[in-house]
Amino acid sequence: MTQFTDEQIEAIVAEAMTAEASVARTEAAPPSAAIVWWRAQMRARREAAQLADKPIAIVHALAIACGGGLTLALVGIVIAAVRGSVGWLTDIYASTASLVTTLAASDLSSRWITLPLTAMLVSVVIASIAAVFVLRDE
Amino acid sequence: MADVTYLDVGRLNGDAALEADVALAMDEDAFRAFYDRTAGPLWAYLSRVSGNRQLADDLLQEAYYRLLKSHAAFENDAHRRNYLYRIATNLVHDAKRGARPVFDEGVEIAGIPAAEGSASPEQRTDVRRALGRLKPRERAMLWLAYAQGSSHSEIAAALGVKTGSIKLLLFRARRKLARLLEVRP
Repeated sequence: MTQFTDEQIEAIVAEAMTAEASVARTEAAPPSAAIVWWRAQMRARREAAQLADKPIAIVHALAIACGGGLTLALVGIVIAAVRGSVGWLTDIYASTASLVTTLAASDLSSRWITLPLTAMLVSVVIASIAAVFVLRDE
Repeated sequence: MADVTYLDVGRLNGDAALEADVALAMDEDAFRAFYDRTAGPLWAYLSRVSGNRQLADDLLQEAYYRLLKSHAAFENDAHRRNYLYRIATNLVHDAKRGARPVFDEGVEIAGIPAAEGSASPEQRTDVRRALGRLKPRERAMLWLAYAQGSSHSEIAAALGVKTGSIKLLLFRARRKLARLLEVRP
């Protein structure tokens, strides 16, 4: 390499690149402008549709999650209320009374009551907001 | 008259928003004219810099799509073309970082089937092998300078480097290619 001057290097590279460029020009077969335009239009429409659907999907997922949370919270309260009670299957009235009595007599600071109650309240609030988003007209 | 539900209203609003989003940066006639002037050289650039003709096909479509979605304000056609090459260069760079195995020290670029041309097949293979051993940025720089006759400022715009650095970088790339062409395997 030390034998070559800058001019010679320039000439070697220029010749090589020019030859390769002429070959590349004959190889180049890009799709027509109409096809590229049409694909771009289709893709832009698809992406715009996906973008428009995204907020709705998020709100739906949020509403479903809140519904699930609400159900779990209710189940938790019922389980907490009837814990220890016997025979509620045979006497539904007694069970209901037991539930009310247990709830009334229960210590509200107990985590068995406060956690499900808090979860239920939070779920109700979030579900209401989610419902507003889903049902609003714009 | 049928009742319009909230879903219908949402769909109608969505369609209006959709039309606004779909609007591309150029009208079809302007795009066709620009594409016809630039697609061939851009494909050649992508195929030689990436070393992969299949990848060049994909990147060509992607480059024009990004240009159409960019909504950038261009001063003139040359500015738009430089921007397109900048997008293309970044796409090749991203492809290099991706999973597709290109730039394997000249394996891919040397593997491009040679078309008929003035140079002999041996010479073409040598050039491709040598190009394949350059870094993608060096390939891009030499291609823009010699195959497309781009100015230093155009090369700088396409590659995202300072115009003042181009002269030195080009000098180094030129020497490297000449050295590789001199040493036959």
